[in-house]
Amino acid sequence: MSENNVMVRLEGISKAYGEGEARIQVLKGLDLKVGKGEMLAIVGPSGVGKSTLLHLVGLLDRTDEGLVELDGQDTGTLGGSERARLRNRMLGFVFQHHHLLDELDARDNVALPMRIAGKPASEARRTAEALLDTVGLSSRMTHFPDQLSGGEQQRVAVARALVMRPRLLLADEPTGNLDRAASEGVFRLIRDLHAEENLTSVIVTHNETMAEQCDRIFRLAPAGERSGYVGVS
Amino acid sequence: MRAELHLARRYLIGLGRRTNVATVTLISLVGLGLGVVALVVTLALLEGFQSSIRRDLIERSSHAQVRPVSGRVLAEPDQLASLLHQALPYVEIVRSVRGNCLVASTIDAVPALLVGRSDVDSVMADQVLAARLGIGAAGVVDVISPRRRLTPLGPVPVRVRVDVAEVGVPGPGAEGGVLRVPLEVAQRIVWGSAEVETLDLKDPSAPWQLGAKVRRTLDGRDDVVVLGMDELNQALLLALALERILIFVAVGLILVVAALNLLCNVAMVAAEKRRDLAVLTSLGLEPVRIRRLFLLLGLGIGAAGAFGGAAVGVATAWILDATGALPLPRGVFVVSSVPFSVDPMMVAKVVGLALILSAVASWLPSRVVARREPAAGLRYE
Ligand SMILES: Nc1ncnc2c1ncn2[C@@H]1O[C@H](COP(=O)(O)OP(=O)(O)OP(=O)(O)O)[C@@H](O)[C@H]1O
Ligand SMILES: [Mg+2]
Repeated sequence: MSENNVMVRLEGISKAYGEGEARIQVLKGLDLKVGKGEMLAIVGPSGVGKSTLLHLVGLLDRTDEGLVELDGQDTGTLGGSERARLRNRMLGFVFQHHHLLDELDARDNVALPMRIAGKPASEARRTAEALLDTVGLSSRMTHFPDQLSGGEQQRVAVARALVMRPRLLLADEPTGNLDRAASEGVFRLIRDLHAEENLTSVIVTHNETMAEQCDRIFRLAPAGERSGYVGVS
Repeated sequence: MRAELHLARRYLIGLGRRTNVATVTLISLVGLGLGVVALVVTLALLEGFQSSIRRDLIERSSHAQVRPVSGRVLAEPDQLASLLHQALPYVEIVRSVRGNCLVASTIDAVPALLVGRSDVDSVMADQVLAARLGIGAAGVVDVISPRRRLTPLGPVPVRVRVDVAEVGVPGPGAEGGVLRVPLEVAQRIVWGSAEVETLDLKDPSAPWQLGAKVRRTLDGRDDVVVLGMDELNQALLLALALERILIFVAVGLILVVAALNLLCNVAMVAAEKRRDLAVLTSLGLEPVRIRRLFLLLGLGIGAAGAFGGAAVGVATAWILDATGALPLPRGVFVVSSVPFSVDPMMVAKVVGLALILSAVASWLPSRVVARREPAAGLRYE
């Protein structure tokens, strides 16, 4: 992987939670590279630190030690507002629980990142409508999250993650709460959009068959048992 | 900014969908509104009473007074009076004399303040004096001066018999015990000659400015001093101002309590919306804008309470005043029902205070919210 083909570069990442007795070292000295256009699956036992890792890559939390570089930019020196702007423009998130805002209908939820970016309401709406159409929800524009099925909620969440045309998609068990059919639907959607939009994607999953459909699998093992982390492609 | 406004509006409108927060928000809103109503009505009541006191003051007392700098009598009262009359022809000028005396009726002798004025020609005792003397509506009394005259029997106090024609109410701020007589009578009792102690001036068209005007007219004269409304009624006016401040502070505490309630409400919304806030952060809403969102939420509730409360308060005060719904016992006070007077400045101050308190109340929790790292909130479900 040549240097300017790397979208995400982690070097010597450590992260611990808690103080004193209750201190848990979750990640220790972790290195990881994700190439541009790559679709990476992260797997590992529950509690091993997959979400933690994703939050660090997504600038939602700060590392104790180590380097987080996104598209060649060191993010360690950025302040809160700069990190927020970077998340808004460059990153898209999909979480296990849809994490849609209950007060907004599907269209307004999808339009939200554009509103945050300061785009006019009408433009944000138009883009959101087009994207909801792409994810197959053109008849659910004005439904509120509690009026949608789990699979539909997750499709809205995928649309919201992509509305700003990000370059990096981070998904934390995006199908964890869905039945098999809905899971496959959402995963296929993500995979198709990954290809169409030239995305780099990092997907945390428990589902081995899904992981195997990704370009590469990164297996995370508990920090106490091993000193390093294994990336298997 | 527009995204925050959009969100704050959706949150407030969307409250109907989440009943527990909606109820608490409604309670905060009503609490703040009631505080504003209480403050507006109380201050309107106060202003109503105070303006009737001021009206009474203007009607019954002098608006300016010219006094000698030293001694008790004016050296050239007539010359002063004509000078003032020339410069300020519309001003009413009264020569007057004051002194202590003893007033004796058939049943009692009572010390009293004697006031002689050139604009009266009958004798008036105030209610307090009349009651002590037992003279009812009218009667004959002896006024005994501290001044003595020499008689073949030795020095005896000067004694003048007067006919009390009228019994009146003591002036505003004055205690009882005043006997008002024509100037000549007072001169005879107090001085024994045609002295004048003060010129009392009145200008009902601009009472509060008269002092300054007279001072300008008499500029350069160092034998007299001029007192305006403010100096003449210093104690009373100070008491009125103090009353206004103390009542504003005391009733304003209701607003502080309401604002604390609002603070709890905003903090509760912050706790409820913890996941949402983490999501908004993950979507790129900067910490400072998260804070602004909360400020807008609190201010939205605060503004609804403040303006609603102000409208209700003004309407209440207006209706109570117009209908005279709260009658006062006759004769005790100058007005027949409890007066309310709404001063727009005062309403603006109250609304401003409510808005400032709401802003402070929502600013405190918003600071806490904006400091949190979003990752923790995302684990929430
Ligand atoms: N805020 C926190 N304070 C203390 N410990 C935490 C905190 N967040 C996470 N942890 C701990 O860190 C470890 C890793 O958590 P993480 O959520 O990253 O695991 P995960 O691999 O995503 O697990 P799962 O597959 O169940 O989602 C867990 O043991 C968890 O208890
Ligand atoms: Mg997890």
